[in-house]
Amino acid sequence: MGDIKEEDWNLPPCKYEYLDHTADIQLHAWGDTLSEAFEQCANAMFHYMTEVDYIEMKESYDVEVEGHDMMSLLYNFLDELLFIFSAEPNYIARKVQITEFDKTAFKIKAKGFGEEFQLGKHPQGTEVKAITFSNMQIHENENKYIMKTAWKIKN
Amino acid sequence: MVVRQYKEELEYLEKKTPYKWEIKKGFQPNMKVEGVFYVNEVLEKLMLDELQNACRPGMIGGFLPGVKQIANVAALPGIVHKSIGLPDVHSGYGFAIGNMAAFDMDDPESIVSPGGVGFDINCGVRLLRTNLFEKDVQPVKEQLAQSMFDHIPVGVGSKGIIPMNANDLEEALEMGMDWSLREGYAWAEDKEHCEENGRMLNADSSKVSMRARKRGLPQLGTLGAGNHYAEIQIVDEVYDKWAAKKMGIENVGQVCVMIHSGSRGFGHQVATDALLEMEKAMKRDQIEVNDRQLACARINSNEGQNYLKSMSAAANFAWVNRSSMTFLARQAFAKQFKLTPDDLDMHVIYDVSHNIAKMEQHYVDGKLKKLLVHRKGSTRAFPPYHPLIPVDYQLTGQPVLIGGTMGTCSYVLTGTEQGMNETFGSTCHGAGRALSRAKSRRNIDYNDVLEKLQQQGIAIRVASPKLVMEEAPESYKNVTDVVNTCHKAGISKKTVKLRPIAVIKG
Repeated sequence: MGDIKEEDWNLPPCKYEYLDHTADIQLHAWGDTLSEAFEQCANAMFHYMTEVDYIEMKESYDVEVEGHDMMSLLYNFLDELLFIFSAEPNYIARKVQITEFDKTAFKIKAKGFGEEFQLGKHPQGTEVKAITFSNMQIHENENKYIMKTAWKIKN
Repeated sequence: MVVRQYKEELEYLEKKTPYKWEIKKGFQPNMKVEGVFYVNEVLEKLMLDELQNACRPGMIGGFLPGVKQIANVAALPGIVHKSIGLPDVHSGYGFAIGNMAAFDMDDPESIVSPGGVGFDINCGVRLLRTNLFEKDVQPVKEQLAQSMFDHIPVGVGSKGIIPMNANDLEEALEMGMDWSLREGYAWAEDKEHCEENGRMLNADSSKVSMRARKRGLPQLGTLGAGNHYAEIQIVDEVYDKWAAKKMGIENVGQVCVMIHSGSRGFGHQVATDALLEMEKAMKRDQIEVNDRQLACARINSNEGQNYLKSMSAAANFAWVNRSSMTFLARQAFAKQFKLTPDDLDMHVIYDVSHNIAKMEQHYVDGKLKKLLVHRKGSTRAFPPYHPLIPVDYQLTGQPVLIGGTMGTCSYVLTGTEQGMNETFGSTCHGAGRALSRAKSRRNIDYNDVLEKLQQQGIAIRVASPKLVMEEAPESYKNVTDVVNTCHKAGISKKTVKLRPIAVIKG
């Protein structure tokens, strides 16, 4: 885990919403760049698991993921973040920033800004069990990027 | 997906009896067998509304309604008998939740599908009895609820308190409840009253990824979140006095404890890993399915076998998990009443799995066949005299535990011969969602829900406030409708009704 610099304190605007689905949660996120839309997806996931205002940006955490196409890259990106939350180091991020995005080789390097999840400090939200490809969509419209992913909550 | 008008769709559905509908071949492409679903009038409306919604223009590419999912499962290679939807059926990942499908193990084309088991492998319900009565518990209800909440780790990010290292986990995965027994967390009698005696023998932990182990280790012995809960319940009605007596339920007013939980992050990761692996296997073996979510592999392929072995390890994980929480619940009671769990007669009545695939023998067209039975959101309900149910229940049939939702009733049913013939001994598992989670959060008020519970005299301890809205009884189908449908359709029989007086939730 790394340090946090002053310029990292800026928080991104909220560009996501949770949509209806019977058993699970579907996420709709958007951004001016593909990278921003990816970041929003990541933020939305962490914010679903706790209340965002309680996450302190104490240390940064680096992740690197790859995919074989854009959808699998998004899937692997969220899956990796879910994993660092669910297992050691139980890391929860207030914001996630993509530092390198290779759109041809489908590789991402990203940095999370947050801390270790602690009961008592962080209110418990809803548990995300898994990321799915269910109804996953990535669209580009007039330089706006829109994406949808679904998360397993039940069964 | 075939796009048709709602009216045209209805031509493929036929009401066979007041509680049973048939889905004819052709409703979805390549259906190998017919589909069936069990509903009463109320549930029927929910089911058909969902279909009608999906038929609206502009809904293409959205989520499939439960009926369509049942039909898609009927198109999977190797399926026998019927693809069956239980009364609590609702849209899930690939398979509907509340779906039973069996595949012929002697057919080389037959498949196993992680979507047919669910992400929470061996999610299930366990019921403990006590020799206490309502009058003993009512005065200390709040303290007892708090004590249970303090003992059992619940909610997102909680960690198990039973000391475990990587080696212990390895053994637990292979041994299931035998591990709990050896370590002193379970009683020998617990095992007898558990499906498969709490241990899947074909579990192979070497087939489980490092990621799954890492997610599983800290979470063993935790309740989890979502629809999972531990409840203190009171016997509210006894429909079959004789069968109830066999379960140690003597009278109305007796106190029981219900635990509903699964294999936590461990199971979710096993399912995720298998889905990714199977996508590749499907291309290689040219398995065609109607929906990408129905990722599957031939039972005899490497991927299929690996999944069954790791699924079994996850099943063992879930039993150890429920056993650990049983231990904690017994401790909470013992401390409150200053009596040992033994003195309180806190025996396991039964433990059911409602997200699992098992190898079983059933009659198909009069011939005994070895089948791989997928039950997703569906509970096994074997009839009296079945060799796989415990001696104590040989005469009554297997106890089936149906957990309600926060603040609603739960039921104990027993298996029937008719259920064995019609649904391969399968019945419903719970209420089944009616509203989406996001909608519940928007439309239901936190304080209203809590107030209503308080009026009903239910003590509640919940880790996440948002969950109170998501899990409000209004978000679910009525469990009484679901259970009555199973009873009237004859696929299982009502024995006992329980009502909660304290709820502990994620």
